[in-house]
Amino acid sequence: MASFGGGGGGGYSRTNYGAQGGDDGGGFMGSQQGSQSAGGTKSYADDSLRPITIKQLVDCKEEYPGAELKIDGAPVTQVTVVGQVRSVNPQTTNTTYRLDDGTALIDVKKWVDTDKPEATPNFEPDTYVRVMGRIQTYGGKKHIGAHFIRAIEDFNEVNYHLLEATYVHLCLTKGMPGGPNSAAAGGNAGGGGGDGMFVDGGGGGDNSGLPSKLGACSRNAQTVFKFLNNTPGGNEGLHLNMIASGTGLSVRDVMAAGDDLLNNGMVYTTIDDETWAILDY
Amino acid sequence: MEATSTPRITCGYLDSYVGKNVIVVGKVVQLRGDEAIIDADGNITAHLHREAHLAAGSGVQIIGKVNPDLSIKVLSSIDLGQGIDYNIANTVVEVAHQNKALFAYDR
Repeated sequence: MASFGGGGGGGYSRTNYGAQGGDDGGGFMGSQQGSQSAGGTKSYADDSLRPITIKQLVDCKEEYPGAELKIDGAPVTQVTVVGQVRSVNPQTTNTTYRLDDGTALIDVKKWVDTDKPEATPNFEPDTYVRVMGRIQTYGGKKHIGAHFIRAIEDFNEVNYHLLEATYVHLCLTKGMPGGPNSAAAGGNAGGGGGDGMFVDGGGGGDNSGLPSKLGACSRNAQTVFKFLNNTPGGNEGLHLNMIASGTGLSVRDVMAAGDDLLNNGMVYTTIDDETWAILDY
Repeated sequence: MEATSTPRITCGYLDSYVGKNVIVVGKVVQLRGDEAIIDADGNITAHLHREAHLAAGSGVQIIGKVNPDLSIKVLSSIDLGQGIDYNIANTVVEVAHQNKALFAYDR
């Protein structure tokens, strides 16, 4: 068994063929293994279960036919989604559910288990369900081949799922919170989320040159302040809407951030209550 | 599959979505005939359809169209009962608007 076990078999194979001079028995070993695991070119190390929104799945495109699907640059095979059942289409071998999570629609196929055909659940329309399954492409259309479907009992799970999908997306695109990439991502004014972790007193690398008081402000306030700091706006400051579009924050978040900065004496309002400039002293 | 999305919104976003279908999660404050007041970070007037079964004090998810007067014409509704964390529901709306790539198609 050990010689077929991928990396684990390496040691055994190496001692056998190493005598022929090759360092790791490269091609020869490869062909032998190839016969054992036909088409085993995919890395199943990346086969983790990923929470996504249906829109992410609908939007993702394979680079060429047969290529592995990637979302945010990470290969994705197994996914979990949460959505409302819009229609149920039972057939002899499988049941197709059309799932809608408010972001997009996708078909979910659950194959009938011939041992217990009664196990295929039939959901009322508009029921929220959790699906775990594998992304499949058939005739150019993507669907989810479900391993598992269950109705959601506690509605909060829907919201948890959406937040979790966003969290994974942000981790993959901007780096883990507190990780090596987050400082760089946070340093980009207008980068949006403002993922950086800031130590009180402004010890963080990308806080250099910014008032230490910034550490006491909320994360959104820090993002807004950095945006103000990095955008030439003259004496008039920047208007709420410009900050909102520049930072990717909602208008309401920018308002709250502006209040926070005002209260900390970091900014002042200029031509109206919704236009702020940095208070230099 | 279909490139249509139904954005999740709260009261404050109503005026950006006039004429569009939206999802609102909130608490039923008042029921008056075929009209309901729903609190989703602010009160929203919802014009119900006949099959809607709401209960005052319960959570509700409505899907409907935003009228020019910022009320919502309800197309479908689910009673969510008690135990809904409205803070999380409102946070999801904010997060969704900050990460539109995950949540909504621009129409």
